Amino acid sequence: MKKIMSDYELIEKFVKGEQSCFEQLIHRHKNKVYAYISLYIRDQALAEDLFQDTFLKVIQSVKSGKYYDNGKFISWVMRIAHNLIIDHFRRIKQLNTVSNDDYESDLFNSRKHSESNIEDHLIKKQIQKDIRMLISQLPDDQREVVILRHYSGLSFKEIAEITEVSINTALGRMRYALINMRKMMEEKKITLTFN
Amino acid sequence: MDKPMGLNSTPFLSYPEILTDDTDIYDDAWGFYPEFHDVIDILRQVKPVPGKRLMKKLIRRIRQED
Repeated sequence: MKKIMSDYELIEKFVKGEQSCFEQLIHRHKNKVYAYISLYIRDQALAEDLFQDTFLKVIQSVKSGKYYDNGKFISWVMRIAHNLIIDHFRRIKQLNTVSNDDYESDLFNSRKHSESNIEDHLIKKQIQKDIRMLISQLPDDQREVVILRHYSGLSFKEIAEITEVSINTALGRMRYALINMRKMMEEKKITLTFN
Repeated sequence: MDKPMGLNSTPFLSYPEILTDDTDIYDDAWGFYPEFHDVIDILRQVKPVPGKRLMKKLIRRIRQED
């Protein structure tokens, strides 16, 4: 049986010249990184740029020996993504430009089921749009915790490290986020169930 | 004769038998899922994934970097 290589084994092989090992790493973690960036950044084109920039930055850092394995490769990648997002918002603030919050495109690429009929598909699309709206209306700090925990699968310890707050603060933000989302669902009378 | 333990009662689990690989200890301790399962189940209904075009573009850029 073929042994699944750890992240660090893949990095070691990549540093020694095996390009395909880095591509394996990308495929292993792409959904977590994309989910974080695309749900946090409302502009899809910008989210796609930052997604690519994250992995390019990872490559540069690995090649220059800046990655030290502590068994938390994905956590380190997410921190790079987090910093790129922060840098982006800082630049916008300096340039005093208007954000592109009203981007209406659907960011969710849910798995398509060929047997689903058009009506089901439309309902799903609507639900996804509603969920995206719920997430986007959360305050930034709460939205980030929800995305990192539920879409990127990070532990609260990792989230606290990335966002540079205590674990209790991260937990508190999650609790407020869930309370707020439930409140919004009730207020807007959103029914988010598949039949 | 007394029956041996575990036949009629709930069998004991040893620590290694309890699967905790995907459990976050803080999440568990704060009981988010029991309290907010309705909201969390809704969040789970979406799975953002990068499109094929984006992945091809990324892989191309990475190969150029080399």
